[in-house]
Amino acid sequence: MKTAALIGNPNVGKTSLFNTLTGSNQYVGNWAGVTVEKKEGFINEDLKIVDLPGIYAMDTFSSEEKVAKEFLASGEADFIINIVDASNLERNLYLTTQIKEYKTPIILVLNMMDIAAAKGLEIDTDLLSEKLGVTVIPISASKGKGLDELKSLLERGNFLSVSNENDFQFHNEKEAYDYITRLLSTAVKKKDSSRQTRTEKIDKVVLNKFLAYPIFFLMLWLIFEFTFSWVGQPLAGYLSHLVDDVLVPALSSLLSGSSPWFSSLIIDGIVGGVGAVIVFLPVILTLFLGISFLEDSGYMARAAFIMDKAMRKMGLSGKAFIPLIVGFGCSVPGIMTARTLESEKDRKLTALIVPLMSCNARLPVYALFASVFFPGRETTVVFSLYLLGIGLAFLLGMLFKRTIFRKDEEPFIIELPEYKAPELKNLMNHTWDKGKGFLKKAGTLIFSVSVVIWFLSNFNFSGMTDINSSILASIGSFVSPVFIPLGFASWQNAVSLITGLMAKEVVLGTMGVIYGGSLASSIQTHFTPASAYAFLVFVLLYTPCISVIATMKKEFGVRMAAFSVTYQLVLAWVVSAIAYRIAMLIM
Amino acid sequence: MSITDLKLGEKAYIHSINGDNKLMKRLMALGCTEGTEICLKNCAPFGDPLVINLRGCDFCIRKKDAKNISIKDNL
Repeated sequence: MKTAALIGNPNVGKTSLFNTLTGSNQYVGNWAGVTVEKKEGFINEDLKIVDLPGIYAMDTFSSEEKVAKEFLASGEADFIINIVDASNLERNLYLTTQIKEYKTPIILVLNMMDIAAAKGLEIDTDLLSEKLGVTVIPISASKGKGLDELKSLLERGNFLSVSNENDFQFHNEKEAYDYITRLLSTAVKKKDSSRQTRTEKIDKVVLNKFLAYPIFFLMLWLIFEFTFSWVGQPLAGYLSHLVDDVLVPALSSLLSGSSPWFSSLIIDGIVGGVGAVIVFLPVILTLFLGISFLEDSGYMARAAFIMDKAMRKMGLSGKAFIPLIVGFGCSVPGIMTARTLESEKDRKLTALIVPLMSCNARLPVYALFASVFFPGRETTVVFSLYLLGIGLAFLLGMLFKRTIFRKDEEPFIIELPEYKAPELKNLMNHTWDKGKGFLKKAGTLIFSVSVVIWFLSNFNFSGMTDINSSILASIGSFVSPVFIPLGFASWQNAVSLITGLMAKEVVLGTMGVIYGGSLASSIQTHFTPASAYAFLVFVLLYTPCISVIATMKKEFGVRMAAFSVTYQLVLAWVVSAIAYRIAMLIM
Repeated sequence: MSITDLKLGEKAYIHSINGDNKLMKRLMALGCTEGTEICLKNCAPFGDPLVINLRGCDFCIRKKDAKNISIKDNL
């Protein structure tokens, strides 16, 4: 079997070409030790393509560059497919001169020939092929042109014999660029067109001093509404309605003859666990449709550009604003969005602080406690919690930047690509990738933890029981002393917080079961206003729910997930204890 | 003189790149080499970062990094 490495600059249509060539025949994973996605696909049984990350050069600074360089140096690739933007050969060919050093046959795919033609560029592909010592094939992936030729070329494989004498040994970037400029002066004819391009016209509006922020927030608002009010959340609600009101009654009548532990395992354990996973799916799919749209249209880079100054204060680049905002809806897609950031440090740092953004699931807990303990001041109390989360995110951002990520600082230089209309096929592909990845990787963990918690709360060592005498209750009494300095130590509260691992709104559901009766009146006997506030602070900050932990593990590995859980537990305990002391003084 | 001394829309030739190694390497890989034409195209609403145009591409770069691109003779 032959292996081909697919390599090219960012924004040249590499992923789109990869999807076209391999279809559904692909495997997504991570490169060892870094948060860079590794994609492999098959054109046929004899030809595997490895999609290397989009990079400008191989100078081994970023993890993307390291991955690409190590892969090419390993000799695993029999040939290289180098995709370049035909409308901007000058910069794209720099990478080509670097990969020539690996003495591996290269197919140079000139993509976006249609855009080059629209710009008035005429490219002499034969001359390029001869001078560079590569096989050149012009295509236009978005128009579907040249793809068949490329496929049949790959299948025939006769490019492998192309002369590979001309391997460049440039001493520095200037030599390489000077060579490219000379080559292009003969190989490319340009009909002069100094008119203002479409991109420049759009940027005049989108980056305008006064319009830039209103436009940005309008875009975010649209995506948020689309996800959380118009499509995603309603669909999720509909799904959970299907599970709770249709599937569960049907199953319970079906299982009415079987023993109670078995029907509880099926209904509360397994169906409950599956439900916990699938209700996230519509939200993830709709949100990523929106994010992919921003990304593919070229707007995302502009958003990063205008938000950079503010985000820099917490050690992040402008683009990190989006995952953090998404985190207010739900941390799961927030962490998944963090994967779109340019540098490894940004990705990790952002993912670590996303859970501090107070998500939707925490709101019901705040709402109930605030209305019981702080009547008339609900808004202030809830708002203070949101602000506390944001403030701590800033502090921890600065702290992590100066400590664990100190060595990973990378220069912030991003390309502002030309605007283009996103292709529906690409949007769908990208969106489905995210959904599938979540179901496969995170889903299994969420499901298993759901079943374990079901077991712990329904059994003790002598068999099935209710939650008040379950194993979970024993665990609750065991850990509850930890909460004494926080003012709300009782096994009931401890158990509620443990079940809150499932999703933070579950905290209320569990309290309802354990305390019995009307929750609003029963919590009044178990909390003081000060301990209630401390409890809310704890709910805001403690370990993210299992879906977030599973997503963190999927995207960033076990160590990051473990660190995220630990630091948040410590943070929650410390801040909550401080909040309790202060609240006692005030109230 | 550095690129940050230009007015929006002005062009100049690059004289040299200074600053730390990572930044220098990154800029040069993008074609920011001596004698290349560079244009200060735009700046963010609060004046930082900047958009520079280099060999037909727009890049966003922070002011403190852009200060390391020194230029000669305005165009």
